[in-house]
Amino acid sequence: MNSAAIATQGLTRRFGALTAVEDVDLRVAPGQFFGFLGPNGAGKSTTIKMLTGLLAPTAGRIEILGLDLAANSIEVKRQIGVVPEGMALFGRLTGAEYLNFVGRMYGLDRETAAKRAAELLDFMQLADQPKKLVTDYSHGMQKKLALAAAVIHGPKILFLDEPFEGVDAIASGTLKAMLQSMISRGATIFLTSHVLEIVERLCSHLAIIHRGRLVAQGSLEELRAGVEAQAAAALPSDGGQSAAVAAPGEKLTLEQIFLRTVGGARPADQELSWLS
Amino acid sequence: MAELTFAPGVREQLAAIARVRWQLFVNSLRTLRGRLELVSHIFITLGFAAGGIGGLVASSAGAYYVISSGKAEWLAVILWPIFLFWQLFPVVATAFTENFDTSNLLRFPLSYSSFALIRIIYGSLEPATMLSSLWLLGVAVGVGIASPDLFPWAVLALFLFAAVNILLARMIFSWVERWLAQRRTREILGVLFLFFIISFQLIGPLMSRYGRSAHPDLRQFAERILPVQRFLPPGTAASAVASAADGDFAIAAGTLGILGIYCAAIFWFLHLRLRAQFHGENLSEAPALAESSRERGIVRVGWSLPGIPGSVAAIFEKEIRYLSRSGPMLFTLIMPVFILFIFRLTPSTSHRKSGSFLGGSSDMAFPIGAAYALLILTNMVYNNFGPEGAGVQIYFTAPVPIRSVMLAKNLAHSTILALEMVLVWIGASLIYKPPALATTLATISGILFALPVNLTVGNLLSISSPKKIDYGTFGRQRASNTTVFASFGVQIVVVGLAAITLMAARSFDRIWLATAVFLVFAAVAWVVYAVVLKGIDHMAFGHREELIAELTRAS
Repeated sequence: MNSAAIATQGLTRRFGALTAVEDVDLRVAPGQFFGFLGPNGAGKSTTIKMLTGLLAPTAGRIEILGLDLAANSIEVKRQIGVVPEGMALFGRLTGAEYLNFVGRMYGLDRETAAKRAAELLDFMQLADQPKKLVTDYSHGMQKKLALAAAVIHGPKILFLDEPFEGVDAIASGTLKAMLQSMISRGATIFLTSHVLEIVERLCSHLAIIHRGRLVAQGSLEELRAGVEAQAAAALPSDGGQSAAVAAPGEKLTLEQIFLRTVGGARPADQELSWLS
Repeated sequence: MAELTFAPGVREQLAAIARVRWQLFVNSLRTLRGRLELVSHIFITLGFAAGGIGGLVASSAGAYYVISSGKAEWLAVILWPIFLFWQLFPVVATAFTENFDTSNLLRFPLSYSSFALIRIIYGSLEPATMLSSLWLLGVAVGVGIASPDLFPWAVLALFLFAAVNILLARMIFSWVERWLAQRRTREILGVLFLFFIISFQLIGPLMSRYGRSAHPDLRQFAERILPVQRFLPPGTAASAVASAADGDFAIAAGTLGILGIYCAAIFWFLHLRLRAQFHGENLSEAPALAESSRERGIVRVGWSLPGIPGSVAAIFEKEIRYLSRSGPMLFTLIMPVFILFIFRLTPSTSHRKSGSFLGGSSDMAFPIGAAYALLILTNMVYNNFGPEGAGVQIYFTAPVPIRSVMLAKNLAHSTILALEMVLVWIGASLIYKPPALATTLATISGILFALPVNLTVGNLLSISSPKKIDYGTFGRQRASNTTVFASFGVQIVVVGLAAITLMAARSFDRIWLATAVFLVFAAVAWVVYAVVLKGIDHMAFGHREELIAELTRAS
C-alpha cells in the first residue's frame, strides 16, 4: 500500500447485523482531489469517519501517508485535517478563539496559532465580527470556520464530509478557492458531497460506494469510459435506464455516470397519477 | 380579533396532532433511555396525582368551611394560591426548556382559528392546568355541599376563573417564549430565574427569624391591599360567590361580567402573539452590526500555563472561557457562599442556644461550604464532554491523547474549586469568623482526598455515560440517570467518610488527626487517579462512537 496518500485494504464496518461498509479497497494518490460519492446511506460518512479515526473499523487496514492508522494514530492525525459531519465547532467560543484553540491542539505555538487564525478569518471573510460567538454564526459562516480550523496546521491531507451542504454561492466560492489553492500546493483532498456539479468541477479522481461496497474508482475519464462501455453492452435491455446515458456526440456528465453506476434512474412507468 | 369560524377538517387536524404525539411517545419507548424516562414519568405522575387529590380534598374542606361559616368572601384565600400556582408553575417548569416550534404547524393548511385553538388546547395539557382544575372542582364540591343553592353560581364563577387562568397562562407563556427565542434574552431571563429560585431559599430563614414577632406595618399594608385584591381574578370570583350568597344576584352577575372582561382582555393579548406567530414571525438572532475596524483582524494569543503543554493549556483556556460565558453556571458557583449566608439567617434549631444555625459550631462553616462547592462542581466533573456538542469530535481527530484532554479539563475544574474554596473561606470569615488553622488544613486535606475520587469517577462516567447539555440554559440540564446514581453513591461515601473523620477528630479535640487521615486517603486517591488517567485513552476509543453519537445528536 506504499506511495498512496490514502489506502485501505478490506475496510469493513458492521453495526450489529448491518454491514455499512464492506471490503473497501481505496487508493488515493498524493496531490489528488478525490471525490467519494454514493447515494444516501451508502457508507460514505462511515468510511470517512474510519479514515479520520472517529470510528473503528470492524476489519481491514487503513494507511495514511504510508502510516498504519491503528498503530500511529497521533502521527497520522498530525498530518491530516478534518471537517467532519456536524463540523466539530464549539458554539460558545468566538471564531478567533476557536481557531486559536484548534491550532494549539495541532501543536502550533501560541503566536503562530494567533497569526494563522487572523489570516484565515480574513481569508474566509469572518473577521468583521470578532466578538460574535460561533453559535450565532450562520450555517455558511460555520462551514467556513470549520474549513479554516481543518487547515490551520497546514495538513497534507484534508478530509471533508459534505463541505458544500447548505452553503450559499458566495461562501461556496470562498471554500472552493481555498481547496484549489491547497491542491496547487501539493495537498491531497478527500471529499464527499451530494453536489455532483461541484465534484465534477473540482475532483480529478472519484470513487463511488453503493450499499457499502466500492462499485467504481478511477479518474472521471476512466469512470466515463467504463459506464459507456457497459451502456453499449446493455442498451437493448437496460430497462429504461437509458435516460442516464448522454446523447450521441455528448460526454456523459458525472450525474449520468453516477446514476448508471448505482442504478438510480426511476423506471418511466412509475408515476403518481394523482399529482397535478 | 380572530375569525372564530373553524375551517372544515379542524377536528381531523386536532386528532392528527393527538395521534402524532401518541406515536412519538410509543416510538420513544424503543430505547432504554425512553423506557427509563417513562418510569420516571410514572413516578412524577403519581406525585402529581397525590398532590391533585390531596389538594382536591383540602380545597373542598376549605370551601365547605368558609361557606358554612358565612364567610364566602374568604374563598379568595383558597383561590389565590391556586391562581399563583397555575401561573407560576408552568413558567418555572418549562420556560427554560425547548419550546414548541410553531413553524412546524404553519406549513399545514390551518386557519388562524384552528391554529389558535391548537395552541391553547395542547399548550394547556400540562400539570398546572390538571392540578388546578382538580382543586377548583374541590372548591365547587365544597360550596355545593355547604350550600346547594350557591352551587350554580360557584360553578359559573369557577368556570370563568379557570378560563382566565388558562388564557393567562398561555399568554404569559407565549410572551416568555418570544423573549426566550433569542440567546441573549434567554440567558438574561435565566439569571433572573435563578435569582427568583435563590430568593425562595431566603423565605424560610426570614420567616423563622422575623415571623414570630408582631409587625403592625405589615398588618396595615395587608389591610390596604385587601380591597384591591377583590378586583383581581381570584378576588372577583370569590366576590361573585359571596354576592350570590348574600342574595345580591345583580351584583353577582356584574362581578361575573368583570371576570368575562378579564377573559376577553387576556385573550386579546394572547391573540397578538398568536397572530404574529401565525404570520410566520422570525425570531432568529438579529445580525450584529459589524464591529469597529480597530478590532478587525486582531487575534489575541492563547494562554500560556507554566510547565503545561500547549494543547493542555488550550483546552484549559477553552473550559474557562466556556464557563465564564455561562451566566447560569457562574451563578451556580456562587451558591456555596450564599448557602453560608442562608445558614447565618437560619435560627438555631436547638432550644438551649440562641443565634443562627451553625452559631455554636461556626468553625464548621468552612468545611460545609467547601463540601458544597465540591458537590456543585460534580455537575461539570461527571459530564466533562456534555457541553461540547459536535465539538467533541475534535478531540478524536486532533493529535492529542484523550488523557491530555481529561487532564486539562480536570485542571480547569480543580482551579475553579480552588477559587471557590478561597471564596468560601473569605465568606465564612466574614459571615461567621475566620476558621481556625487546624480546621482550614483539615478541610483542604479533605478536599485533596475527595477531589481525585470525584475526578476519577467523573472521567470514567464522562466517557461511558455522556449527556449533551447547554451551559447557557437551565432546562433538562441533568446528567444521565446512570451518572446521577453513581454520583450520588460516590458523594455518600466520600462526604460521609470525611464528615465522620472530621466529627471524630473534633470530638477528641484533635483536628490535626483528621488532616493526617485525609492526607493518607488523598495519597491513595491520587495514585488511583493517575492509574485510571493513564488507561483512559483505551476506554475513550472504545466508547467514541456512543460518545460522539450522543453529543452530536440534535437536541
